[in-house]
Amino acid sequence: MSQPAKGEPHPARFLELRNIQKWFGGVHALRGIDLTLDLGQAYHLLGENGCGKSTVIKIVSGAIAPSGGEIVLDGETFTSLTPIQSLAAGIETVYQDLSLIPNLTVAENVALSEQLVAGQGALARLFDRGRLRETAERALATVGLPTDRAFLSTIVSDLPLAARQLVAIARAIATRAKLVIMDEPTTSLTRREVDNLVRVVERLRSENVAVLFVTHKLDECYRIGGNVIVFRDGQCVAQGPIERYGKKELSELMTGRPIDSERYRTARPGDGELFRVEGLAAPGFEPLTFSLREGEILGITGLADSGRNELAMAITGIAPATAGRIVVAGREAVIRRPADAISRGIGYVPEDRLAEGLFLDKSILENEIALVVTRLTNAFGVIDRQKARATAARLAEEMRLNTKDIDLPVGALSGGNQQRVLIGRWLSIGPKLLVLHGPTVGVDVGSKDTIYRAIQALAEAGMGLIVVSDDLPELLQNCDRILVMNNGRVVAEFDAEQADEDRLYRAMLSSTSTMESAQ
Amino acid sequence: MNASRIEQLQESTARPAGFSLGEFIRRRPESITFVLLVAICVAVAIANPAFLQPSTLIDIGRASVVMGLFALGVFIILAAGGIDVSFTAIAAFTMYSLTVLVLNHFPGMPLLVILLVATAGGALLGIVNGLLVHHLKVPSLIVTIGTQYLFRGFLLSFIGTVWIMSLPPQMGAFGRLPLLQFESANGAVVTLPVYFLILPAAAVVTWWILNRTLMGRAIFAVGGNADVASRLGYNLRTVHLFLFGYAGALAGLAGIIHVCANRQANPFDLVGTEINVIAAVVLGGARITGGTGTVLGTMLGVLLIVVINSVLVMVGIPSTWQRLVVGSFILLAAAFFVTRQRKK
Repeated sequence: MSQPAKGEPHPARFLELRNIQKWFGGVHALRGIDLTLDLGQAYHLLGENGCGKSTVIKIVSGAIAPSGGEIVLDGETFTSLTPIQSLAAGIETVYQDLSLIPNLTVAENVALSEQLVAGQGALARLFDRGRLRETAERALATVGLPTDRAFLSTIVSDLPLAARQLVAIARAIATRAKLVIMDEPTTSLTRREVDNLVRVVERLRSENVAVLFVTHKLDECYRIGGNVIVFRDGQCVAQGPIERYGKKELSELMTGRPIDSERYRTARPGDGELFRVEGLAAPGFEPLTFSLREGEILGITGLADSGRNELAMAITGIAPATAGRIVVAGREAVIRRPADAISRGIGYVPEDRLAEGLFLDKSILENEIALVVTRLTNAFGVIDRQKARATAARLAEEMRLNTKDIDLPVGALSGGNQQRVLIGRWLSIGPKLLVLHGPTVGVDVGSKDTIYRAIQALAEAGMGLIVVSDDLPELLQNCDRILVMNNGRVVAEFDAEQADEDRLYRAMLSSTSTMESAQ
Repeated sequence: MNASRIEQLQESTARPAGFSLGEFIRRRPESITFVLLVAICVAVAIANPAFLQPSTLIDIGRASVVMGLFALGVFIILAAGGIDVSFTAIAAFTMYSLTVLVLNHFPGMPLLVILLVATAGGALLGIVNGLLVHHLKVPSLIVTIGTQYLFRGFLLSFIGTVWIMSLPPQMGAFGRLPLLQFESANGAVVTLPVYFLILPAAAVVTWWILNRTLMGRAIFAVGGNADVASRLGYNLRTVHLFLFGYAGALAGLAGIIHVCANRQANPFDLVGTEINVIAAVVLGGARITGGTGTVLGTMLGVLLIVVINSVLVMVGIPSTWQRLVVGSFILLAAAFFVTRQRKK
């Protein structure tokens, strides 16, 4: 209106950001973002943690207001949006934390927003329960979830993580969305579930919906195709069709420095046997036997229900084995609880580091020394502050944390740095074997690199490592050997140097497909 | 592929086939409250058959009204993840100020207007709580401890400390107005007053708000995760003001009923019974961390506490034991719910 004359409006243009700025206190988080999104297109927003991706998403979804710039939404210009405005315009977001209401049912989580938005956020209204159910059924069917009554009325906190992720996606597509934003939608999905998601995206695009992915997984970007948008330090450094960019080029654009995507594993394991399990079994996997040499890195992969998680938990005493033997450095170890594993020198870095591993509101110092407090006490049983600080500082240094301030709460660190704090804690007890579960889940490319280097350094120092992961390139780049589990059994063993993703993937699915055909 | 996905999910989530008692209790914790209530009634009835007389049951019904109204307010706030300890002060403030007002300035005020003014006054004080909780972003426990002292201090300093023994006649009459009246075996006249009806009515309204309106879903959503709820477009300010206003309104209403039923207005009454009410709500299966619970459970919890308080004497247990029993029940129920939760 008061705008200077613009060119012809782009027919498919849905959203345009013009010179968006955002300050958080003294931090200039977004330094003039210009971005255009067209209907029916897929976009991948790439960038390291802290580059401003999440901030842009929060601005577009109305959670926060920008400090400057304008948002053009369907031809209308705004300086900021409210959540209801954004939703009413057809912008749906699947947040990284999923943003599900844990105590409400699946149906309510999926379909209540539709009615909230229809009433412009007014709460003094009845809700239509028939429509709630219809909308929920339609959306759940699209993402491949059950639509029976029992599932619709399941409380969301009773669902496994992967199902919750799909419920969050179902909510996003439950209404006539025009733009679906997915913030790292695949972190807890197995490859099979990702295939399903890819189909959902194709369908959305064919219905002229724009899809914006925020992701760390470059392989998935290429599989889905479309356009890439690369952020670095609050600026947009590249935007265009993904075919124009190589994988290595994208990594370098994100980090601003060259990234080595070749194999990290160059050293060879030692000769001595470090660790062995014989006939180990627990609910979830059948008796299995394998061994690990000193300085060896063993990868274990499989679908989420393959028994790989149960195996990791049996070795580390979280869910003890019901049969079989564990031998550490030639001596049999009876592991009935985590403390047994720790005393035998077996450390465990869990997948869900936020819930299982870290005290988020405590400092780096306190997190690092959590396992060794008894060793740091003086004659009176009081913690020797100086010794503790020295230990924590050394571990922080060894793990190359991006801050020297060991009094900073861990919650203030990026995912990659949190993971390094957790690994650093285990180094404090000098473990013989470290079991890493999804070591780079939700971690950006640059942090992945430092975590991989740390893993290699540990192996070179003679430590044995077991890496349980879905991330096949990660296993191929870092391991000596890879075991593939399927239905509670080890179905294949690969030399990592000779294996490739396809062969691993086929082994992961092999007997499942025979089972399916048998049914 | 799709078929197997669905099977896999059903296997790991809902297990529709096969009924599991543990699962039922986990989903409907108020069933435990119900079992406890029945067990106590049966035990007391065996020990002293006089318990089953209509007069006892009517006593219990009468005694639950004020506590039940308070409990509904506490429950709705608990469902949204907050807590309120100021409701007794709100009730005391409204009932006493209103009695003084009617007595000295509007002796002819009709009863219906008195009830409405009490409700509106309580709602206003509740909204003060809501505004403070929302804008100060201070936990509601702290805010309502503060306002409890504030409201009560204001009442005692500026309005009065005199015990009013002779109520305005219309209020006294309302306290006696019978819904049911009959002569019991020993010749005494037993009355179930009309005001008893207010509790089931309030319970139905509360249930309807929570389960049939978007506001109700918003309350549970905020109790589940307030940040997420606001991101999804629920207006937290509206929810907070409604919640505390509604609880305040119930407290105001409870206060005036308390006065009418006791035929006297004592400004020192009510404050100090908060924990009893919160205990009833928690015994009814609502989690203190918010987001769960049902109106039915809350009512069962109230009945349980009232029954314990009024019938232990009938079986010869000294009244000083009441707290002991209530305390053990709370711990037992809590331990039970928690272990159920862990097994999941």
